[in-house]
Amino acid sequence: MPIIAAGTMANAKNQGLNGADVDFETTWGILEKAFQEIHTKNASALSFEELYRNAYKIVLKKKGEELYNHVAQFEESWLGNTVRVEIVRHLTALLMLGEGTGRTMNTQTERREAGERFLKSLKGAWEDHQVCMGMLTDVLMYMDRVYCTDHRQPSIFAKSMGLFRDQILRTPVRQGSPTLLQILTRIILDQIQMDRDGEAIDQFLIKANVYMLEGLYDSDQEVEDDKLYLRTFELEFLHSSAEFYREEGERLLKESDAGTYCRHAKRRIDEENDRCRSTLSESTTPKIQRVVEDELIRHKMKGLIEMETGVAFMVENDKFHELSLVFDLEARVDPKKPELTKAMHKLITELGTNINNTAITASQTPAQPATTEEAGDDAQGKSKGGSAKAINQQTVAALKWVEDILSLKDRFDHVCKASFASDQAVSTAINRSMADIINAFSRGSEYISLFIDDNMKKGIKNKSEAEIDTTLEKAITILRYLSDKDIFETYYKKHLCKRLLLKKSQSIDVEKQMISRMKIELGNSFTLKLEAMFKDMTLSEELANGYRSHVRNLGDVDPRRMDLGINVLTAMTWPLEAFRGAGEHEGNEGKAQVIYPPSIDKVRLGFEHYYSETHSGRRLTWQTNMGDADIKGTFPKSKGGKTRSYDINCSTYAMLILLLFNDLPADQSISLEEIQVRTNISMNDLTRNLQSLSVAPKTRVLLKTPMSREVKAGDRFSFNEGFKSEYIKVKVGVVSAGNKVEGDRERKETEKKNNDSRSFAIEAAVVRIMKARKDLSHAQLLTETISQLSAQFKPDVNMIKKRIESLIEREYLERIEEAPVASYRYLA
Amino acid sequence: MADTQETKLLGKHQLEKALYEEHKAVSSGRLKEENPLDTSAEFRRLCEACRRGDLKVIQEQIGKGININARDEYDYTPLILASLCGHYEVVQMLLEQGSLCERDTFQGERCLYNALNDRIRNLLLSYDYSKSTDPLQPLAAHITGLLAREIPKTADIAVHTGEATFDLHKFVLSARSPFFAKKLAAAPETTSWRLSSSVPTQSFETCIRYLYLGDVGADLGDGEEEQAILSGIDKLSRQLEVPQLFDNLLHSGDRRQARQRRTEEVEKGRDHIAAWFEQNVLRHKLEVDSEKANAVKWDRDNGIFADVLLRADDPEDDDNGDDEAESATPDPAPTVRQTDGPLNRIPIGAFQHPSRSPSRKRRPKRSSVLYPAHRAMLLRSEVFATMFASPFREGQSSTHLQIVPVDCTPEVLEVILTFLYTEKADFGLGLALDVLHAADMLFLEKLKQRAALLISTLGNGSASVVEAENPRGETDLLDVVDIYDVIRAGWDTRVHRLEEFGARYIAYRLERYIDEPEFKALVRESAGRIRGRQETDTVELVDDVRYYLSERFRLRFEDAGLDDLLDEGEGEGRGAPLAELADAPLAPPDNDAGAKVEGVEDEGYSGSPPKATAEADGAFAPDIEALEAQGVVRTLDGEIAGDEFAQDAINYQILLGKIERLMENLGLDG
Repeated sequence: MPIIAAGTMANAKNQGLNGADVDFETTWGILEKAFQEIHTKNASALSFEELYRNAYKIVLKKKGEELYNHVAQFEESWLGNTVRVEIVRHLTALLMLGEGTGRTMNTQTERREAGERFLKSLKGAWEDHQVCMGMLTDVLMYMDRVYCTDHRQPSIFAKSMGLFRDQILRTPVRQGSPTLLQILTRIILDQIQMDRDGEAIDQFLIKANVYMLEGLYDSDQEVEDDKLYLRTFELEFLHSSAEFYREEGERLLKESDAGTYCRHAKRRIDEENDRCRSTLSESTTPKIQRVVEDELIRHKMKGLIEMETGVAFMVENDKFHELSLVFDLEARVDPKKPELTKAMHKLITELGTNINNTAITASQTPAQPATTEEAGDDAQGKSKGGSAKAINQQTVAALKWVEDILSLKDRFDHVCKASFASDQAVSTAINRSMADIINAFSRGSEYISLFIDDNMKKGIKNKSEAEIDTTLEKAITILRYLSDKDIFETYYKKHLCKRLLLKKSQSIDVEKQMISRMKIELGNSFTLKLEAMFKDMTLSEELANGYRSHVRNLGDVDPRRMDLGINVLTAMTWPLEAFRGAGEHEGNEGKAQVIYPPSIDKVRLGFEHYYSETHSGRRLTWQTNMGDADIKGTFPKSKGGKTRSYDINCSTYAMLILLLFNDLPADQSISLEEIQVRTNISMNDLTRNLQSLSVAPKTRVLLKTPMSREVKAGDRFSFNEGFKSEYIKVKVGVVSAGNKVEGDRERKETEKKNNDSRSFAIEAAVVRIMKARKDLSHAQLLTETISQLSAQFKPDVNMIKKRIESLIEREYLERIEEAPVASYRYLA
Repeated sequence: MADTQETKLLGKHQLEKALYEEHKAVSSGRLKEENPLDTSAEFRRLCEACRRGDLKVIQEQIGKGININARDEYDYTPLILASLCGHYEVVQMLLEQGSLCERDTFQGERCLYNALNDRIRNLLLSYDYSKSTDPLQPLAAHITGLLAREIPKTADIAVHTGEATFDLHKFVLSARSPFFAKKLAAAPETTSWRLSSSVPTQSFETCIRYLYLGDVGADLGDGEEEQAILSGIDKLSRQLEVPQLFDNLLHSGDRRQARQRRTEEVEKGRDHIAAWFEQNVLRHKLEVDSEKANAVKWDRDNGIFADVLLRADDPEDDDNGDDEAESATPDPAPTVRQTDGPLNRIPIGAFQHPSRSPSRKRRPKRSSVLYPAHRAMLLRSEVFATMFASPFREGQSSTHLQIVPVDCTPEVLEVILTFLYTEKADFGLGLALDVLHAADMLFLEKLKQRAALLISTLGNGSASVVEAENPRGETDLLDVVDIYDVIRAGWDTRVHRLEEFGARYIAYRLERYIDEPEFKALVRESAGRIRGRQETDTVELVDDVRYYLSERFRLRFEDAGLDDLLDEGEGEGRGAPLAELADAPLAPPDNDAGAKVEGVEDEGYSGSPPKATAEADGAFAPDIEALEAQGVVRTLDGEIAGDEFAQDAINYQILLGKIERLMENLGLDG
């Protein structure tokens, strides 16, 4: 087969290689003519095949370079001599304007129209160039593939785009005047300015020119980042926009209110987004957005928030929508919203401080008489009414504080939800601010406990379960913010103790509910002691029942024998000092036991005996001052009546006093001192009990001579035979076992106790940590200690230092001398 | 045979199992036998050539249409033989032409295992089936792609189903579906066709994909929908008379089976189109006087749905008169047509019935041939694609078919058309250079490579292995190629293979070319090419020639056990340089080394070689063959050498020296 081919082989040689010697000039002549036709939009009669073949032959003849250069030259002269002239023709009127003097002389409409004419001519030139070069590229395909690839030349299309850039855009219109590119940039910016001012412009026309700038590159290496658009126009655009918005923002801040400003800023941002989409390039969107955000928001946010009509005003007037606008703006520039959170913090602190101050003044104004009362124990009787009122007012102040704080919180929670989309950062700020003001209020713990106490005693009466739930939840909400939980615990224990022992609580169930809520909120250790109190109560009941049946089983049922109800309380759990009168703060542990009449004493001993049988090794201390008694009092017939008998409920002390009168003839009397000697009740308690028995009109079972409001030394008492009451049951109250707000002295005491217990807690924590770590630097030890204790309270650094000092003294720890930073070592 | 096989990836038992299952599948007819037994003499010849590495014979045999994936009676396939015997180029050629070496099949693993060296093994791996493409894939992809291609517009019939419209090509429909063939033959001007609305659109879409050689068998929805679509396809496949479609859809086997079926389908589809192409396009080519060629007018609505005429002119200086031996096979009445209907409005204009009466031609001075063609197929060439999409004349629509000249001879154009329509590229060596150029012009990379392959295998008088046995540069009888043209064509069309081939060809016959002025010109050209690109001082052509020259002689030395000889010579302390020379032939040996070489074994030759070469320069003229005929062993400069080895060594030096001098003359550094 190959043999026959010799002939045609020779032909190939003639034809393809040497034969048809291509004359470059002639061939180029054909091509040039065709290109001319193409540029004058007259190409439809041209034959692609012919042009392609000619170009192919030239390249095959190794004349690719010449062809390439000729084409480039052709384009260059075409663009420079024909196209540019045409564009410049549209420019003359505009040049004046471009120089800046024309600004005022031309009306905006004229300016716009002139600009549009120019843009249109440039757009036309660019599109024509694109089309023509597309055709040329098609024809010169072989050159692009073979010559350009081999010689690392940019494709003829890219080359001609560069020529367009150089010839049209970068050449000055005439000597010394700006280039078309500069003029173009200025015109587009001018038109955009018109658009911002609300005048309609031809967006598509500008978009077409932007396309052109995007299609061109700064250099002949077509690097994506070197687009002419990015390199020239966009920079100018961003710059001038920044200037514009800076001015506008400042003007608006001065002229309008915050709400309007927000709306305006939002509109501007949307506008710029739209503009990028419709007029400029999408790629500019993030950049211009940043410019607008910077100028209208980031730099102005502070001023905006602090405006007269700023955030404070909005919150005050419930302008939720505007608040949400502010929020949106700030959220746009910074996810942390620093300005807004700062503003919220400031606002809350302000309002919270007001509440705190009000509470303090409210508690101080009427506290005036209260202090005098405390000052003089002896004068107690006189100021009784006033002091009760004062105490009441204190409670009211406490309740008001709690309610105020809660409503403040509710309000800001609502703002946060309605305007800030429950944003994490803002709500954290609100919470922190709430915590700050609650903890800034020194009586916070006490007031919260009082609030609960009040509700337990009165508030929850006649309330549905759901309402009770909300109340409890409120208390817990505030409690959550409290940092010194240990102080709260102290108060709560005290209040709870009184409620339990004096049976003031409305519902044990609700109490337990409260405890379990605290347990969830504050942890197990916190409620341990509180629960123990409840346990004691239950155990006591069982014990009393057991004792009763024990007595019954003894057989000899003495009908006159007293019934005994008893609460056995664990000494450590119960804050019994709460019951001690204000004047008995000195420990009266050692004081002489009250003298019981034999009938009572028998019962007492009987129970002690019974108790020690079941629980060996425990010592019972009788807290007579906390007991109460039901006694039956029989009064002789009066004139028209029969014998009256009343069930009198009174304190144990009162019972002891009354029992003295059992054996006394009706007309005899006993002096105060005598009573004291015979009962050994402390004078303070004694006078108080006697006061209720002989002064209070409804329970005047005893007669006092002389008759006066106060019980004084030397007063004598006798049985009031003529006692009358509407009810069978008479309750003898005891003056001022009140558990209202603490007096100053009490508070000091509480604080002192609290500090002591904190000291122990701190020492325990330090030792625990050191035992585990052996060596630790001072700073680390501090942080760890604080973190361990934070559940209970916020420890004072000084206190920790002192505790550490003390531990070193006691040789639990030692300082490491050679350590570069202060460190301690645990001594086993 | 199987028990000697071991592979790294599959255990023996696994392979045996796979083999067993494959046998079962084959015998039950589920799987096509990929390597059928072939005991024909041609195949045996092919196998023999693969053993020896005879590229030329292999190319010739493949050209005859032998199945290169067949096996001989010992279960060897040509690929296994070639890789076993270490003929890298043969392996490469076989793989390029479609030899299979698939991982995880018995034959494939066997082939890999048997590869002589890692180079061949890696080559085989790189042609693993999953990576290599089915040779027909580009064609199939193009035809399928026509369905989605919108610019330029090539569709000429719109088929409406209930809800959608498909823009299709009459020639594809007619070639692939007997139904459409009949329909369209009856009314070739039809531009739209309505499908019964009861058939789901998706069914029709699947059918169309099938007709357009697309891959069908993707999922067809589920449940009822699938049922409806399938029954629609069933109906359509009967209506369109393409029964295989439905069968194919129903059988979805494993990967290999699916692939085999797909290959088969594409092949069948190609055959349809090839048959149609021959029956219609080639049959309707017009031969006209060049001057009148452009006056030919064909209507748009012609019986073969052509939408463009391609024109090729016979060479101008054609005087031997047999130019039409091939093309002028007049077939006045195309009675054997696929379509029975009248070919209404086929050519009108200057020639009323040129295709029917070419016999009356009175041999025009210069004739042209016009081929009716379909743009849709021409688009495979980027040049045509750009042309038809451009706003130039060719891209516009006209009442009569446009005539587009193609710068080549009619024979070449026919090769190109055949390739575009059918992916077949069978042509003689005689056309190869022309095809190479035309393919380069039209950006038909594959065809270009085929032409280059043809030249580099057949154009060589003797195959590479045989060359090694011809160190004395004996001339070939079949020296038909102008080697200078080949090299220049290689440069022009950027086919490296041809440059290599040319350098080797020259190196093995250097004594014939070294003094021709044309060779000198070529060297200068080569140097210019390189300098044009970057400032380096080597001349590629000369480097290549030196390399192959050393190969030519080194093989000779090795074959003759020269190494042993040199070991003996070691005792004399003078053999080392030669060993160096033989082992590292790439290093251009300096004249000193050459002197020693000759010193080792040359008793009959005295005098220093550099001087000898210098003398040889002028003295080299005598008819070597005449000398050889006398039975005297002489060197190239006519001196009588002691034996053949001595002759070789001296000849090598002489040739190297000549190159040196040539370079010096040209003022080039070597």
